[in-house]
Amino acid sequence: MEMHGELRIPAPRAEVWAKLNDPETLKTCIPGCETVDKISETEFTAKVVARVGPVKATFAGKVTLTDLDPPSSYTISGEGTGGVAGFAKGSAKVSLDDAGAETVLRYGVQAQVGGKLAQIGSRLIDATSRKMADDFFNRFMGVMTSSDGAAPAS
Amino acid sequence: MTEIGTPVRRREDYRFLTGQGTYTDDINRPRQLYAYILRSPHANAALRGVDFAAAAKAPGVVAVYTGKDIEADGVGGLPCGWLVHSKDGSPMYEPPHPVLAQGRVRHVGDPVAVVIADSLAQARDAAELIQVDYAVEPAIANAAGALRAGAPQVWPEVPGNICYDWHLGDPAAVEQALAKAARVVKLDLTNNRLVPNAMEPRAAIGDFDRATGEHTLYTTSQNPHVIRLLMGAFVLHLPEAKLRVVAPDVGGGFGSKIYHYAEEAIVTWAAAKLKRPVKWTAERVESFMSDAHGRDHATHVELGLDVDNKFVALKVSTIANMGAYLSTFATCIPTYLYATLLAGTYTTPVIYAETKAVFTHTVPVDAYRGAGRPEATFLLERIVDLAADELGLDPAELRRKNFIPTDAFPYQTPVALQYDSGDYFSTLELATKAADYAGFEARRADAARSGKLRGIGIATYIEACGIAPSAVVGSLGARAGLFEAATVRVHPTGSVTVLTGSHSHGQGHETTFAQLVADGLGVPIEQIDIVHGDSAKIPYGMGTYGSRSLAVGGTAIIKAMDKIVAKGKKIAAHLLEAAEADIEFKDGQFSVAGTDRSKTLGEIALTAYVPHNFPHDELEPGLDETAFYDPKNFTFPSGAYVAEVEIDPDTGTLEIVKFTASDDFGRIVNPMIVAGQVHGGLAQGIGQALLENCVYDHSTGQLLTASYNDYAMPRADDLPSFALSTHATLCTHNPLGVKGCGEAGAIGAPAAISNAIVDALKDYGVRHIEMPATPEKLWRAVHPQNMAAE
Amino acid sequence: MQKTVSLTVNGKPVSATVEGRTLLVQLLRETLGLTGTHVGCDTSQCGACVVHVDGEAVKSCTLLALQAEGRSVKTIEDVADGDTLHPMQEAFRDNHALQCGFCTPGMIMSALDLVKNNPDPTDREIREYLEGNFCRCTGYHNIVLAIKAGAAAMRGAPVEPHGAAAE
Ligand code: FES
Ligand code: FES
Repeated sequence: MEMHGELRIPAPRAEVWAKLNDPETLKTCIPGCETVDKISETEFTAKVVARVGPVKATFAGKVTLTDLDPPSSYTISGEGTGGVAGFAKGSAKVSLDDAGAETVLRYGVQAQVGGKLAQIGSRLIDATSRKMADDFFNRFMGVMTSSDGAAPAS
Repeated sequence: MTEIGTPVRRREDYRFLTGQGTYTDDINRPRQLYAYILRSPHANAALRGVDFAAAAKAPGVVAVYTGKDIEADGVGGLPCGWLVHSKDGSPMYEPPHPVLAQGRVRHVGDPVAVVIADSLAQARDAAELIQVDYAVEPAIANAAGALRAGAPQVWPEVPGNICYDWHLGDPAAVEQALAKAARVVKLDLTNNRLVPNAMEPRAAIGDFDRATGEHTLYTTSQNPHVIRLLMGAFVLHLPEAKLRVVAPDVGGGFGSKIYHYAEEAIVTWAAAKLKRPVKWTAERVESFMSDAHGRDHATHVELGLDVDNKFVALKVSTIANMGAYLSTFATCIPTYLYATLLAGTYTTPVIYAETKAVFTHTVPVDAYRGAGRPEATFLLERIVDLAADELGLDPAELRRKNFIPTDAFPYQTPVALQYDSGDYFSTLELATKAADYAGFEARRADAARSGKLRGIGIATYIEACGIAPSAVVGSLGARAGLFEAATVRVHPTGSVTVLTGSHSHGQGHETTFAQLVADGLGVPIEQIDIVHGDSAKIPYGMGTYGSRSLAVGGTAIIKAMDKIVAKGKKIAAHLLEAAEADIEFKDGQFSVAGTDRSKTLGEIALTAYVPHNFPHDELEPGLDETAFYDPKNFTFPSGAYVAEVEIDPDTGTLEIVKFTASDDFGRIVNPMIVAGQVHGGLAQGIGQALLENCVYDHSTGQLLTASYNDYAMPRADDLPSFALSTHATLCTHNPLGVKGCGEAGAIGAPAAISNAIVDALKDYGVRHIEMPATPEKLWRAVHPQNMAAE
Repeated sequence: MQKTVSLTVNGKPVSATVEGRTLLVQLLRETLGLTGTHVGCDTSQCGACVVHVDGEAVKSCTLLALQAEGRSVKTIEDVADGDTLHPMQEAFRDNHALQCGFCTPGMIMSALDLVKNNPDPTDREIREYLEGNFCRCTGYHNIVLAIKAGAAAMRGAPVEPHGAAAE
């Protein structure tokens, strides 16, 4: 599945870029994220609890940043296995453009699941990924707009 | 006795109605362990390693096994029972089929490891701890895609993924006839992949008796002896004498429980290793990814007609999806059970069929109710309807014009089979009358007034059942004989036990076979017991599939009864001091012709077992006879179905307004049971036409329909009530004249429904709608501007 | 995480030690040996597991055993009166509404629930009510006839000798 979106963030591009690379922000914004640990500038490990229809699982996996073009764009990819629940992979290509004092963030997301998640929840994958992407960018918007830069309670 | 032809109520029902059936999962053995099978979530991946150290230490875990253990113990792979040769004479490619993956997984659901623990919950919990290192590679799920250059290879040694490229018929004659034809009608169609979905999930319990060295497997099988042979001889290398296979009550099969599956071997092997019983029961999601699937053909068909609208030639090219491995009878389905039926009910003089069987990264495909014959019937009846449409003819008239005449039997088709009997005109007549075919246009107009699109569709079918003459199938590549065996044991007081190789899993053999015996021996039905399903009790039998039980298994019982009567006559002649030739047997009495001197079967039996006054010099004591019956030919049930549907153009929803079926099953022993078989077959055929579809993600090989959330099973409110009738022409080569009825509905219904749909949509220029014809597809067909979205 | 649950099953009080995650159907089948209640799916759709809990039809695969604490459960084993079949069971037999028998216990428990609330259901009502009970064998034709006949017998209406089963 694939989806695209765009949002306008009332903050300068450099600031948006910095947050997009900050493990704490990622942890706050990824729905169901329990931990994010940085292992290098472009690699993190993460633990995410996700629920697709009747299947709920904890995914342990890796998040990597590629195609880095600071402070304009990157691709963020995640891949995790949830035991017998199966596996999930996803990537988002994110690009930033100046729009006066604000920044336009464009994203294109691709997601793929396998195993039980695909078998039992395939009809729900699109809706679930869309919701997760929406949640992520809503929270990210929240982080960027709250004065102290902290995440809103969600 | 008039047992034959009466709707005797079923004797098996009491136990099922009161919850006292004994299905495999209802059985528990002392000290039993539970197996959970870890399956691949990937369609194609190299297995770099399986780390089960944590699982092995988890609470309750007794053992964890992987493909390495299987290999170390010399456990063989699952065999394929039918060898097919390609056009060039080369044998098909037969890949290894290990019971636990070795080095690579090839479809989602391929078993990777088995965890055995004190409880199922512990086994499942421990399986969560296993870390499998998969190197995922590109996969291909659809057969046409697998043939394309550069497609992922399922087996590196099989370039192009072709298992075999087979053909039947005379290609030159067909090309010539098509070139000369007044009209050639062409169509591309798919026969959608289905999952059989017997309501009882598969289950298996392995048991091992240390004292006797006997292995016992309880399993959800349609044919316990076949499992014993395949597992004993090819997989576990156990002598039959030490291997007992029991198929207790089985909750439906529809083909999917014919085959020998990995789990049967795993539990039998593990039970012997651990010296404790091991039980495995499939969760439904496992059934979806491990039971053999059905159908999955992509076909191009061309039918030539002359100026008189007679069929002059038929050409059929098919791509058949085999899945990643070859299931037990997979290879004969799209060949000998398919192409040989392409004459259908028609006189088409020349036919050519070619089939490419293709490996893909999917669950193996094998026989599912009808097996090959639904695919043949669907394409044939679709192309005939299309021809009628193109020529502006009444589809019933075009069919009648091309039917094999009723006086032409035995009729030799150009595709190997010889039909022994049939009367296609009568069943079509019965069905069209009952459906009020003649009055349809008025109903169409009525429906149009309320904004509905109404259509009517006919399909005729023929099937080859009573599988099968061993000599014939042997020459075609079958690696098994397909006879059936029965023992009729008359006890000292005259009650009777019948041991049959035909397993019953819904067909009601315990009743139908008892009717045969009550009729044949004049014994009250309450005194007859039918035993099946246990290799330790019954003679070597081949089991239940291909609508064969009555035609082959029933005939074996008749032959065994003939021996009983023959021996009884000898005993009676001795007791009555008459010549054997003068003894008549009727209604349970042996009597001297023309006198009132007689002995009952019970008296004869008592003499046979208490042989004080007995012709010992001529006869052995006892009254217990076994017969093996190998049929001379297939049987050829046929029939005509009429479907009437109404489509709401605003929503695409479809209602089956009426479904009329008329079948020729030869003689009918229990009309109630036969009607039930037809109902069930129709439901599955209609399910294929309208609802059911097994979907793989083509780019990843992920199975997307693996639960009842996504796989649309026919429910009560999806189906109509059915109007049935029968017309009998007797089978000429079995003593009962029976033909078999188990698969008919699933064979004829898809085309009848599809033809009705296309008829309903004819004003929209629709030539064909792929199955399942979901509301979405129907809606798009009447709103073509929205087609692009698909 | 073992806990004790006490309930009434088929009129008799029972207690058992179960895990928190144990389903009612597992308690019935595995602990109590009442194997007439079947499991046909893992998504609560097939209805093979239907039992009555406090008189209502419930899919016993959707209920935790612990949720049955203090309740009264009735299974297929307790529907007949001794050796005499209940009129609904008799109607299933008379109309050949079962083949392999796997769906049958759930079907009967559902049918009894339907008739309790709707003593004279139409074909349509029966078909709609059975949405949550799958049968792969019968095509439902004879099940619909059986439920009508069973309902008629239960309300004391004259029953037709036998339905289309004998056709
Ligand atoms: S097992 Fe409960 S609904 Fe299927
Ligand atoms: S009788 Fe077999 S599933 Fe209903």
